[in-house]
Amino acid sequence: MTLAHRALFTWFIVLVFLILLCLRLDPHTTWNWFVTFTPLWFFDCILIVYVIIKFIRKWRNLNRLTHLLLLYKWNIGGVLLTITSQVMICLTLEYPQQIPIYVTITPLILLLSTAIFYVGSRLGKREGWLR
Amino acid sequence: MFKLSELVRWLGLTEFEILVNLCGLLVFTITLAVKLSAAGSTGGVLPELVGDWFTVFSPLFFIDICNAYFCVIVGIRMYLDSDNKRKALHRFMWSTYFLVLIAIFKYLLCLKLSGKTGLEYSEVFSPIFVLLQLVAVRACQLPNSI
Repeated sequence: MTLAHRALFTWFIVLVFLILLCLRLDPHTTWNWFVTFTPLWFFDCILIVYVIIKFIRKWRNLNRLTHLLLLYKWNIGGVLLTITSQVMICLTLEYPQQIPIYVTITPLILLLSTAIFYVGSRLGKREGWLR
Repeated sequence: MFKLSELVRWLGLTEFEILVNLCGLLVFTITLAVKLSAAGSTGGVLPELVGDWFTVFSPLFFIDICNAYFCVIVGIRMYLDSDNKRKALHRFMWSTYFLVLIAIFKYLLCLKLSGKTGLEYSEVFSPIFVLLQLVAVRACQLPNSI
């Protein structure tokens, strides 16, 4: 898939999710929060397939598993933390007061910290990054 | 799904702006958790938040101000240094749209959560929908060769 196709696909997923979120936040609807997050689950499945395909394509070159895991550590970590964050947010919204808020946001904070570290390291490697 | 360079190309944000946004989101998440846990300890079923929502959203407003300052500086420098004035102006306009729409959304959300306005959530989210249309236009302008 080209960048334009991936961008439009992601845009469509976000659009559907926002529409469902608006409907769910209205007091008239009482859907399950896991149903509201359906577009994001679908996107996560696509992400997992995407990472697996990338993994297998490298696997054919008979690399060691540890090397492959190290090579794709950002992808694997990002996908796992994203899915965990979404599950925890859904659980907290669906069953309020049963899960401590700090447990809920821990995966989210880890995800954001990882993203900050990743973007910061990329930024540090570049010269003339203001342009 | 996306490389960082592809996101920069699509969204028209620099890596630095993305980094600032991520830092602001991290601080916002922590302040939100503190507020929600404070509300939970009072015993309400739905989180009736203690204090003001504008305080919780202040990290996000702060990064908006930082990004606006950054965009103005980059815009001026690009306009003065570059031969392509049109490109500099285009970049500045896109950053302005992005920042203004996001800031309006956050302000409306604060008002809604504080109970100071009778707007529905679909109206509160309208700046985001407008921004999504602009992002879709940018996605369509991306070259098919990448």
